[in-house]
Amino acid sequence: MSANKSTGFFRGWFASGEPWIWMNAAAVGVSVSAVVGIVLLIAVKGLAHFWPADVAKISFEDKNGQQQLVFGELIELDDLPVKQFLESGGNPNWVTEGDPRMQRWLVKTGNRKTNPPDFRWIYVNQINNTETPGGVIVLERVEWGNAYGVPKTLTVGRENPQTITGEALMPTLLERLARGDTIREEIHSLEGGAMNAINVGLERLRLQMRQINRTLPVDEAALAEALTERSQLNAQYNDLEKQLREFYRQLDQDQLIILDAQGSEISLRLADVLRIWQPNNMNALEKIAEYVGNLWLFLSEDPREANTEGGVFPAIFGTVLMVLLMSVMVTPFGVIAAVYLREYAKQGPLVRSIRIAVNNLAGVPSIVYGVFGLGFFVYFLGGNIDQLFFTDALPSPTFGTPGLIWASLTLALLTVPVVIVSTEEGLTRIPRNLREGSMALGATQAETLFKVILPMASPAILTGVILAVARAAGEVAPLMLVGVVKLAPTLPVDGTFPYLHLDRKFMHLGFHIYDVGFQSPNVEAARPLVYATSLLLVILIVGLNLTAIRLRGRLERLYRGVES
Amino acid sequence: MQNQIHVGRLSPRRHWTNVLTRYTVGVGGAAVIGAITLIFAYLLWVVAPILLPAEIETPTDYRIVERPTALVDVSENGEAMVRISETGIVEFFSVADGSGIAAFDLGRTIVKAKRLSPLVDTYALLDDNNNLLFVKTDYIIDFDNGQRRLSPKLSFPFSNRSIPLGPLDNFDAQLADDDLVIATVSGTQVSLTRFKNVEIGYRLGGSAQVTLASTVQAQEVFLGPRNQWIYLLSKSGEIDVLGIKSLQRVSRIYQGSLAPAGSTITAVTPLLGRYSLLTANDQGDIVQWGALVTANETRFVALRTFDVGQPVAQLITEPRRKGFLSVANDGELSLLYPTSGRLLDQRPSSLPASAPMAISPRSNLLIAAPQDGLITAHGLDNKHPEISWSALWAEVWYEGYEEPIFSWQSSSADNDFEPKFSLTPLAFGTMKAAFYALLFAVPIALMGAIYTAYFMAPAMRALVKPGIEIMAALPTVILGFLGGLWLAPIIEANLSSVLSVFVFLPVLLFAFALAWSLLPEKIVHSTSGWYGLIVTPLIIGSVYLAFQFGPFFENTFFGGNSRAWFLEVLGLSYDQRNALVVGIIMGLAVIPTIFSIAEDAVYAVPTHLVRGSLALGATPWQTLVKVVLLTASPGIFSAVMIGMGRAVGETMIVLMATGNTPLMDFNIFEGMRTFAANIAVELPESEVDSSHYRILFLAALVLFLFTFVLNTVAEVVRQRLRRRYGSL
Repeated sequence: MSANKSTGFFRGWFASGEPWIWMNAAAVGVSVSAVVGIVLLIAVKGLAHFWPADVAKISFEDKNGQQQLVFGELIELDDLPVKQFLESGGNPNWVTEGDPRMQRWLVKTGNRKTNPPDFRWIYVNQINNTETPGGVIVLERVEWGNAYGVPKTLTVGRENPQTITGEALMPTLLERLARGDTIREEIHSLEGGAMNAINVGLERLRLQMRQINRTLPVDEAALAEALTERSQLNAQYNDLEKQLREFYRQLDQDQLIILDAQGSEISLRLADVLRIWQPNNMNALEKIAEYVGNLWLFLSEDPREANTEGGVFPAIFGTVLMVLLMSVMVTPFGVIAAVYLREYAKQGPLVRSIRIAVNNLAGVPSIVYGVFGLGFFVYFLGGNIDQLFFTDALPSPTFGTPGLIWASLTLALLTVPVVIVSTEEGLTRIPRNLREGSMALGATQAETLFKVILPMASPAILTGVILAVARAAGEVAPLMLVGVVKLAPTLPVDGTFPYLHLDRKFMHLGFHIYDVGFQSPNVEAARPLVYATSLLLVILIVGLNLTAIRLRGRLERLYRGVES
Repeated sequence: MQNQIHVGRLSPRRHWTNVLTRYTVGVGGAAVIGAITLIFAYLLWVVAPILLPAEIETPTDYRIVERPTALVDVSENGEAMVRISETGIVEFFSVADGSGIAAFDLGRTIVKAKRLSPLVDTYALLDDNNNLLFVKTDYIIDFDNGQRRLSPKLSFPFSNRSIPLGPLDNFDAQLADDDLVIATVSGTQVSLTRFKNVEIGYRLGGSAQVTLASTVQAQEVFLGPRNQWIYLLSKSGEIDVLGIKSLQRVSRIYQGSLAPAGSTITAVTPLLGRYSLLTANDQGDIVQWGALVTANETRFVALRTFDVGQPVAQLITEPRRKGFLSVANDGELSLLYPTSGRLLDQRPSSLPASAPMAISPRSNLLIAAPQDGLITAHGLDNKHPEISWSALWAEVWYEGYEEPIFSWQSSSADNDFEPKFSLTPLAFGTMKAAFYALLFAVPIALMGAIYTAYFMAPAMRALVKPGIEIMAALPTVILGFLGGLWLAPIIEANLSSVLSVFVFLPVLLFAFALAWSLLPEKIVHSTSGWYGLIVTPLIIGSVYLAFQFGPFFENTFFGGNSRAWFLEVLGLSYDQRNALVVGIIMGLAVIPTIFSIAEDAVYAVPTHLVRGSLALGATPWQTLVKVVLLTASPGIFSAVMIGMGRAVGETMIVLMATGNTPLMDFNIFEGMRTFAANIAVELPESEVDSSHYRILFLAALVLFLFTFVLNTVAEVVRQRLRRRYGSL
């Protein structure tokens, strides 16, 4: 009886569709949780990296039962099944009885040169004691990653070395570091300015001389002139090089000795140290200041150490410049095409099928555009440009190799359907009576277009361009074929003529993520940077998209006004 | 145009602005549309040459000084021909006009001459006293008064001392890196001389020598790959293969016959790399015999047979590829390629079947010396012989494999490598990735769309819809990075936990739904628009529970190690970056696409249909299934199509979240290689206009056409739907 009743209930419940509604609701829940989860994950992992974490002094028992002492930042607590731990040859003494999983810390111990590796897993049961002693400094170095230790002595000067210890050490250290920064800046401006200009001049002369030698009869006078100029430039270069050497000598004056956790001395050239901080001695406010400073450095510095350290400035610069160039190309063409399709072309099956084709192009895989860009733009167009205008530089290609201009063009082609579709949508929404009114007042079609239609469609055009930019900023696959590199020696914009170098290769945030995450030798060190770069890209793209969505909303309200 | 109104008098400026605008817009619009068609046209243009037939071109004859010819060849750059005469004179002629450029007298009579394999500019010459001499040709380009000039030079790569070989019937010499071996046969006697640490430009050092007996009366002798073995072949096709890795321990590797009983071999030659031998017999067949090296034996199997219609007298191989050309008794030339199994072109000629001949290093010229004072050169237009429909899509029996297989392996460090251009594994990988992604994405996206459009409270919908659409804008490189570096290790370490999510979630959801329905009617009714929000903690909770109970499942069902269990019980091996990871991550990338279009379709179903159904007493669920979904089904179909297009062409996610190995296995725990990822990996390294390059373009063209057709179908279906709503 009661069994019957309950079957009846279930049947009714199923028939009402209630369980299926819940299932559908769960699908929404999964999608939304995934979006939120991914963004949160990236944000947390990306932002945590810049926090000046305390440096712990960890004493633990190593594989051979020896007691070890290290300084390190506790990065992440992780757990794994005991079984897996034992199967990979783990020490059974570290297993807690009855617990199926075991916990371990990922510790960044730095000191990669003297005591590698710089990241290590330490099992919680392995650790005897952790403390956060004051006085530990973290040194960010030009190479070999961070160093951790307690400063012992600083030897200032080479000729009359002065050894500083105790109270005076930290102030002197900071002062000497600031001096180093100044010198480094001088070096940077010398290398990037005067020396670079001479190099450009020498390359120009080389091509000029080739040109002279090739045209018969050889113009001996011109050749002699070029040769004198070359020797002058070489002489200048030698002078500058001397200056540069002097700067380097100035920079490399000091020697710092720190003690690692075991108490053994590590000797460092202060010239290799970029920054130092003492996380254990900082209060929360100081830490926040340091954190903001770190964020700024990440955004403004060049990458170091195969992109696993330093900042991402060239990648930001490259992405923005490429996207700007692309917008300059895609906007007029997209708008013209949309105006043509909507306002000028005769509506019929042909225009309808063109419209479908344009729509569908948005669904063609981006890598196909990359292939086209490499074949047509780089090898065909670029190759021919080289043949026509850069014969002197051949066989080394100028435009016949992937570069900024080709990447922008390829992405412009990739995003032109977005602009067309969005603009067309805007044009369709403009009521017919506005056009007719304008014409009735005697305006020509062009005047109607420029004075009435385009201004009204401008939010739609802007939406299209923003969506195009958002799409372009996130594309990586085609760029891998047409111009992006892991490390560009120079920015595409600099102080030598023609200032904007369209033929140069550039760095890109998206490719940076791929490259650092998957091609880098030290994945553990690089991972936080990849999260941070991802966060930057997500903020950029989500921001752009939200702007587009808001614009679209405003547009809708605007037309509602017009139509009524 | 429809808005054109004729205005009586316009000022010229206004008139011309109007006209100019019309033309600018017209030209600009046409240019953009042209640019779009250009993509298709250009891809096709690059791919087209692989479809064009090869051709043996009309010959050019060069009259030259009459001398009996021992060997003819063409220089690397294709500008000069070289003839080595039996009187010991090495002469160079211009390919442009046949004029003599240079001549050198070696001062001895040459009875036999061969290229020193695998080089194309060095020759082994045997004189009438059975002394062997090596000569090398160099072609120097200089400028004389601004005039480009080619000056051939002749040098002795290992000094001008010749090597005495003793009486012999035939010989072969090969330089494998720094290991020079000279083999001679005389009756059943085989002599081998080996020089180690050989370097061109330096004198040969001391040599090791051995003489031994073969089981066959060898007519031909060829050194095998990297001087590891030698082939000895008799007139009747018996073959004896001796391992000569060490001359102290020569071993017999294989013995057998390469000709059908009762037939004789009319020509034999090794292919580039010398892993296979080509034999032509008097019955008119050309057979490719490939060495099959297994752990305990080496066999020779007939990989394929060519039929050129009549018995063949001479086989000439290409020096840089595995192709060859056969010369029939009546002089008919046939151009063939083993990997693709193609008979590329045939052309009758008046060449004597035994004339000295050679194919140029770039495989674009066949030269022959039919008479003492004549050189005949046939241009060969044969750029992509390795590609055929069957080579791209069917199983191919490659050298060194036990059976025909599907394989994509485009390049290798070795020059004598046989490229494997089967697109099938890539197509399979593409489909596999798309399948698993859609398996994950379609149910979630469609169910989510249905709920959002039909049940969800408007206030929540206004947030959820753009929220999910933002996900479409997330760069795939970030998703790929999370898949490869975050999700893949998590799944690997917690496989059973991840799998048990698929158990926990439905069970908990069902229980929760049941409990909820026991609440007062009023609450149930008023909350149904917020189920999506209410259920979210449940989802997070069930993932948490799954990870808590994961180890328990691991121990109970998978014997403590799920990966080992899958391997032992189901035979599924496990890669860290596999189809499961790709399915989930690429699924996330596809969900917003499908969701957005499907949601629009469901939302656009006219409300009077819904109200009518409800008024007739149907429950909301019945209305949904019987009315709304049916009406919206074309839109849902097009959503899935467009989602599939996206999954098929996605590059970065597959590149980063799989191992990119071109496998043909549907196992969810193994990776794959897709068209898109393959293009991204290989195109930057590919030589422009090579077969490899064009095949990658073909792959891009296939992707383009596939997604284009898919999207067009979806678009047409969607437009139809719109028209139908219009009529409702």
